[in-house]
Formats: sequence, C-alpha cells, structure tokens
Amino acid sequence: MIDFVMALPLALVFIGGLALMLFSLVKRVEIRNYNLVTVAFLAVALLLELIIFQSVDRGYLFEDIFAKMFIVDKLSTLFDILFLGGAILTLLINNFYFKSRDYYNGEFFALLLFSIFGMMMLAHANELITAFIAIELASISLYVLVGYNRHSIRSSEAMLKYIILGSIAGAFFILGAALVYGVTGSTYLGEILTFIQTHSNQDMTLLIVGMMFILITLLFKVGAVPFHSWVVDVYKGAPFPVTMFMATTFKIAIFALLLRLYLVDYAPFYAIFSDIIKVITIITLLGGSLLAISQTNLKGMLAASSIVHVGYMLIAIYAVGMGSDMAALAIIFYLISYFLSAVGAFGILSFLASQKQTKGLSFNDFKGFAHERPYMAAMMTIFMLSLAGFPSTIGFLGKFYIFISAIESGEILLAVFGIIIAFISIYYYFKLIALMYFYPTTNPKQKFPITISSILMGIMAMMVIWGGIGTGLIPFFAGADGLLNIASEAIKMMGQ
Amino acid sequence: MPYILSTILFLPLIVAVVMGILRVSTHTLKVASLSASLMVLLFVLYVVTQFDSSQGMQFTYVAPWITSYGITYFIGLDSISLVLLLLIAFLMPLIYLAIWDEERKGYFYNLLLLQTGVAGVVLSLDLILFYLFWESMLLPIFIMIGSYGYGMRHFNAMKIIVMTVFGSMSMLLAILYLGYTHFSTLGWWSFAFSDLSKLIFEPQTSILLAAGFLLAFAIKIPLFGFHTWMAPAYNSSPTAIVVVLSAVMAKLGVYGLFRFSYTLFEAPLIHYTPYLIGLSLIGVVFYSIHAVMERNLKRIFAFSSGAHLSLIALGLFLTNIYAWSGGIYLVATHAIASAGIFLMIGMLGKRTESIRVADLGGIASVAPRFAFFFVFFALAITGVPGTGGFVAELLIIIGAFKYHFWVGVAAATTMLGAILFIFWTLQRTIYGKTQTQTHRFEDLDSIEIGILTPLVVILVVTGVFPSIFLEFFDATIEMGLASLGGVK
Repeated sequence: MIDFVMALPLALVFIGGLALMLFSLVKRVEIRNYNLVTVAFLAVALLLELIIFQSVDRGYLFEDIFAKMFIVDKLSTLFDILFLGGAILTLLINNFYFKSRDYYNGEFFALLLFSIFGMMMLAHANELITAFIAIELASISLYVLVGYNRHSIRSSEAMLKYIILGSIAGAFFILGAALVYGVTGSTYLGEILTFIQTHSNQDMTLLIVGMMFILITLLFKVGAVPFHSWVVDVYKGAPFPVTMFMATTFKIAIFALLLRLYLVDYAPFYAIFSDIIKVITIITLLGGSLLAISQTNLKGMLAASSIVHVGYMLIAIYAVGMGSDMAALAIIFYLISYFLSAVGAFGILSFLASQKQTKGLSFNDFKGFAHERPYMAAMMTIFMLSLAGFPSTIGFLGKFYIFISAIESGEILLAVFGIIIAFISIYYYFKLIALMYFYPTTNPKQKFPITISSILMGIMAMMVIWGGIGTGLIPFFAGADGLLNIASEAIKMMGQ
Repeated sequence: MPYILSTILFLPLIVAVVMGILRVSTHTLKVASLSASLMVLLFVLYVVTQFDSSQGMQFTYVAPWITSYGITYFIGLDSISLVLLLLIAFLMPLIYLAIWDEERKGYFYNLLLLQTGVAGVVLSLDLILFYLFWESMLLPIFIMIGSYGYGMRHFNAMKIIVMTVFGSMSMLLAILYLGYTHFSTLGWWSFAFSDLSKLIFEPQTSILLAAGFLLAFAIKIPLFGFHTWMAPAYNSSPTAIVVVLSAVMAKLGVYGLFRFSYTLFEAPLIHYTPYLIGLSLIGVVFYSIHAVMERNLKRIFAFSSGAHLSLIALGLFLTNIYAWSGGIYLVATHAIASAGIFLMIGMLGKRTESIRVADLGGIASVAPRFAFFFVFFALAITGVPGTGGFVAELLIIIGAFKYHFWVGVAAATTMLGAILFIFWTLQRTIYGKTQTQTHRFEDLDSIEIGILTPLVVILVVTGVFPSIFLEFFDATIEMGLASLGGVK
C-alpha cells in the first residue's frame, strides 16, 4: 500500500502522458485545454510528492518486483518536486507562447510528460541500467521536442545535432555500465560500493574506466566543456518552452543522478576523479564565459551562460570529493536558485517572442525595454542580477555557498577563479540591463498584462529576492534558511 | 526603540516599492520621496539626541538571517557611522529639492533605493550584510548614470560598475575566507564584524586578506592608481548622482577603511603605512595637477574631490589622534562643501548649457548671489579659515608632522597645490569678462538659496565651533586607536 502511494506521482505522470497521447487524436481540443490538463496531472503529482516529502524515510519502490532498482528517499522526492514544479512553471509561463505559434498540438504535452517521467525515474534510479533507461526516456522525448517547430530549419538542425551527439554520449553510458558490471558483477549502486570496499587489493582500472565513461555521458548531458559544442546551437534552435525546460529542469535531473553517483559510488575514487573534475570545472567556467561574451542573440547568451552555471556546480561537485560537508547542499541550493532565475529570464524572453513573430531575440530588441514595459524590465533585471550573483538575490547566496564549499575543501584558488568568472559574467548580464534602461524607445508605454504567465513571473521575481534576503523570522515560508534546511535534510538521509 | 535604525534604513526602500506598485503620478512620487527623506532626517536627529558619544556601538539590533552560516542582520552605530548617516540624511532632502523640476520618475525611485543602500553600508556590522549593501548601492548609480547622464554615459556607467565590482569581489573573497577561518578555528560560523576581529592570522594570510579589502576601498575612494573611473563617471553623472558620488560614496571607502581594515587587519596596514602614505601624497599631487589641466568644471572638481579624499585617507593612514580626528572631520566638512559645489555646478549647467571653463566668466558681475555661494563653497573645499575644512586640514597636518617631519612638510605643501588650482578656476569662471553664455546669467532664486543656505550654515558652524563636533567622536577614535595596540 505504502509503495503504491510512493509510486503514485510517477504513475500519474505516465498515465497523463498516455492519456494526452490518446486525446490528441481528437482534433478539436484547444491547445489551452491540453496545457490545463497537463498542468492538472502535474499539480496532483506535485501535491502528492509534497506530502510524501514530509514522511518519507528511505525505501524501495515495489521491492518484491523491482528489487532495489528504485529508491525513494528525501533526495529523490526533493528532485521530483523540482521537476514537477519546473514543468508546471514552464507550461504556465508559456501559456501565451503556445497560442501564438501554430505548431503545438497534443503530442507536445504528452512528450513533455514522458520526459518528466524519465527524469523522475532518474531521480529514483538506484541501478545503472535503470538510470540509462531513464536518461534515454527523458532524452528521446526531448529530441522530438527540440525539433518541434517543423517549419524551421534551425529547429530541425538543432534536433539532428542533438540526436546524433546525444546518442553517442548515451552509448558511453551503457559501455561504462557494462565495464562496471564486468568488474563488480552488479549494477546496483550500493553493491558496487560494497564490492569496491571489500576488494581493495584488486586492480580497479576497468572499473575506473567504466565510471569515467558514465561521467562523460553525464557531463555531456549537462553541457560541460569540452562536451558543450551542442549547447548553444540546440538551445537557440529549440522552441522557447523547450529551451527553458532543457536549460533548467533537464539539467537538474542530470545533476540528481550525478550527485547520487558521486556521493555513493565514486567515493572510493575521489583521489582520481577530483583532479579530472577540477580540470573540467576550470575549462567549463572559462569556455562558458568566452562563449557567453561573444553571443549576440539573447537566447544564445543564456544558453552559453548556463554552461558557466554548470561550472559553478562542478566546483561544488569537486568540493564533495575533497571532503566538504556543505558542498552537496550548495549544489542543491544552487540548482534551485539557478532554476528560479533562469526560468524567469527565459519566461520573459518567451513572453516577448509571443508578442512579436520574430525568430530570434537579439540584444538590440531590448533597447529601451524599460520605458516600454517598466515592470517586465524590472523583473528581467532581478533575474539577470540573480544570474550574475549580485547580492540581495538568491543567486548570490547560491554562489556564496559554492565558494564557501570550495574554500572549505582547501581549494582557495578555485574559489578565486570562480569569483573572477562571476566578475566576467557581470559584463554580459549587465549589458542587457544597460540596454533596457539606457536607451529611449520608439514604442508607446504598454500596460502590464494580467495573465497567468506574467503573474507567475512576478511571483518568481519576488521569490528570487525573497530567497536572497528572506530570513528565518517568518515561518512556513522558506527563505534562504528554509531552502537550505530542506536541502540538508535531503542530503542527511542519503548519507545513512 | 530597537527598530529605529531599521526604520531609518528601510523607509526609503519601502516608499519606493509602495509607490512603484501603486504607480503614482510624478508629483506624488516627488512629495513622497521628499517626505520620506525628511522623516529619515527626523529619525536620525532623534538618534543623535539619544546617542551617548562616550560609548562605542549603540542601538545595536541583531536578528537571525541565514542561521546555518551564522549570518545575521546585525546593525548598529558608533559616532563615526552616525556622522555619515547624518550626512546622508541631511543631503537627501536637499538633493530632492534641487531636482524638483525633474519629470522622470526613475530619478526618484533610484535615489530612494540609493539612500537605503548607502545607509545600509554605514550601519551594517555583519560582513555579508555589509557586502550586500555595498554592492546594491551601485545599481541605482549605474542606472542613473546610464539613463540620465551626459556624454559617453553608457560606457562610463559600465566602467564604474565593472571597476567597483572588481574591488568588491576581491573583498567578498576575503570575507568568505574570514568567515571560514572563524568556522575552522572556533567551530561555529559567524560573519559578525565583532567576532571576526578577534581572529588572528599568519602575517602572509593577513596581508592577502587586507589587500582584498583594501582594493575595494581604494577603488571607491579612489586612491592614486585606482582612479580611472572617477573623472568620466563624475562628468557623465546627473547632478544628483555627482553629489552622492563625491559627498557620500567616496567617503564610504574611507569609512570601510576605518571600520573594517583597521580593526580586522591592523598589523599589515601599519606595516605598510609608509607606502600607503606615499600613495596618498602622490594622489594629492597627481589629482591637483590633473585638475589644473581639465577644461570642464565637473572634471576639475572631480579631481579636487579625489585630492581631498586622498588627504582624508592620508589622515587615516597616519594613525594618530590628530590625523584621525582631522580625517573624520574632513569627511563631514568636505562632504557638505562638495555637495554644495556640485549642486551649484548643476544649477550652472542648467543656465548656461555648458560647464566648460572656456565658455564661462564674469558671473560675479551679472549674478552676485550665485558668485557668493559658489566662491564660498569653493573656498570651503580648500579649507579657508572660518570653515570646517580649515580645522580638519590643520589637524591632519599636525598629525602628519607628528608622524614624521617630512611627511608633515609634504602634506602641507601638497595641500597648497590643491588650493591653488581652485583659485585659478574661480578666477576664470566667476570673475573676468562675461561671455556669450554668461551674458544673461540668471541669479539664484529663493528656492535655490534655500537649498544652499543650510550647507553654508553648517560649514561656518563647523569652522567656528569645531570643539563641539570633535568631542563628539573623540571617544570612538580613542577606542579605535587603542585597539591598534599602542600605536600613537
């Protein structure tokens, strides 16, 4: 019975996907209704997860059928909540956008739900093959979503690029899993760890190579340098809602697995992997910054800057390996903070794109935006400040935790490097703020539209501020302190 | 009243947010901003009456913020912060009056936010809180220079933000390291300034950390070598921002030096005192020479401001009671005088559409009242006897002689340089023959005189009765010097 309740959110999302698939055979359903139904499924699942989060300890889903393939603990539930919340926000914020384009239909939402189902599986995966299936489920749905704009060559190009590179990267994972199985005779995370601990005299080269392959796939999926070449093109080519979904929710999903793997299975080999992660961190931060500076298209800038944010999180992953207690918390907090600010920023872009029928939004489209739409510009400013890590926003605290964890792990130079990168990022984020405020506009001043999307973005802007300055004084409303406590609860359960 | 400082701090911010949400008309916004600033002034005056100048930190208030890292909302003030708070509170209403004709709402919103940011810097006693305000006060300045400024405003706005953020990032790193050291030595997190000042470091670490803070403050002041943002930013700024930049912002660099650098890292700072003194002296000379070469009033007084701030910094680096009293006193009097001069340059710019020295001249013959006030403020900046600046500069020179004979000589002569170019500027702008631009120069009207008179009164009072004010922060300075470990 308890298993059933725990599995219900997953089942709901899956059933929702199937139902929408069938629905979409009926031609005359409006796009808005599809959106509503999807959100309804997700909202119920989210509600269930919130309830589960209060009481969950550590268990396995249907242990009698699946053995220990699916783990249920605070960490996985927390990530489920993030995916579901992210998907709901993505859908609601883009409500306007869906209507403004003619290529959306029921299957879009079904695919989105399947993708979320894959991500949720990933968060629960306690075994490599399950994780692989989950990643592929999420990715394959995304491949289709990226190419959803059939009329656009760029969109198709992005999809093809993503499919080919993504499948190759996926192959690395399965090869890695095979190697790991070859050495340890198991694909369960816990059993792999036990094997390593009990066979400390054995030659582990193959195992390390296998784990390296798995790491490569994960780094590819989050877009770390040098596996980043797809990021900008795919993000730019994909429709706005999909870009938003990929840049935030999908990234969180991969980090969910990365965190779990790195905390559990990589632990005996931190000495080897830390150096690798360190090098990748540095080139990711540097490469991402260079890419971001050179972008003229706003979507491209946000895509490239998402690489930089991955770099920050890799600092904390590195710190995990160097024995920092706070690093895992820092990653979760950073994921939440990045998620809030990036979804907001993409949301405003998609809102603008839905207003005009332009293909891409360049920086110049934002000239004088503050005089045309002061409130939207204020929100965008808040999101940009948060992404840049300006204090009084949640982004600053995210960076604060990351840098503290780097210092804690004894790598002050990495913290120095991170701060220099944060300084560089001031340039490309403030460029947008400067464009919005410093130029006059020819368009008349427009009223703030009262729609679901705009109100949601307003709430998110407030959350970004609240997350940055919110105190523990007001109970029931998680500020910086509350979020950290939630994250620390989730991590504590893991360590047991 | 435990909440009075928080009220002073957040009232402008709250007014800005409420007005923004209600989308009030420009007129309502003006009235609201002015009344908010007047209320803040009243509250600050109330704090002054309740303040006990023989004590250290007062009105402290602590609330938890991020408990897992021991970050608190910790505010309070001693007499030095009170002087700065009073300055801000006093200048804001005058600034609002000076830009009363302005129809762009952004001016008022940004100034309200700026007041909260600047007051926060002065009041914060937790380093993360300090950093928060230190960074956020930049934002209104960035937006105002870029949106309402002159000349190459976009570039200059970007320049000021990039340079100052660079400084603050180095400070952030030092803060993080301090916090972590506190955790690793004592086992619990704290970023409270009073806890961190008890930490003891290896000399080498201490130097690096001190450099992190010093970089932030040196850029803000700006010391010689860190000044490239100064003249362009002053030149591009609208009047309101120039006043804030020179009267308040630059002083915050000095304040940070006094409050944080000298308490957290006294050893390296004292060790490097000769170099820092040299840097300040070079600064005074360099800025004075630069000011002579400039052709436009804003840039001239920007460099004059730089010269005097180097002087104030010199006072701090000398670390004796005369120099410190003089330095702090000069902070206050120079702030008032430079606020006056930049407000007047703004008025002048409105009348002549040009602030180039070559276009001006002969104002005294057409607009005697204007000439009187302008000359008064310019002389107050140079520190003519009878104004507060004289007392302050005298004290710094005494302190310099006390430190070392030749430092005293150098300070006295360089100060002379800073005076000379102001006389030359006055000669070319106020006196001489009228030009086409100044031919029909309108004299000050009663509102403008009303704005400037309080500044004049304060300058005269501080010049004639310095002992009242100097006693006010004697105790704090003595406490500060005593904590430096017997340096006299």
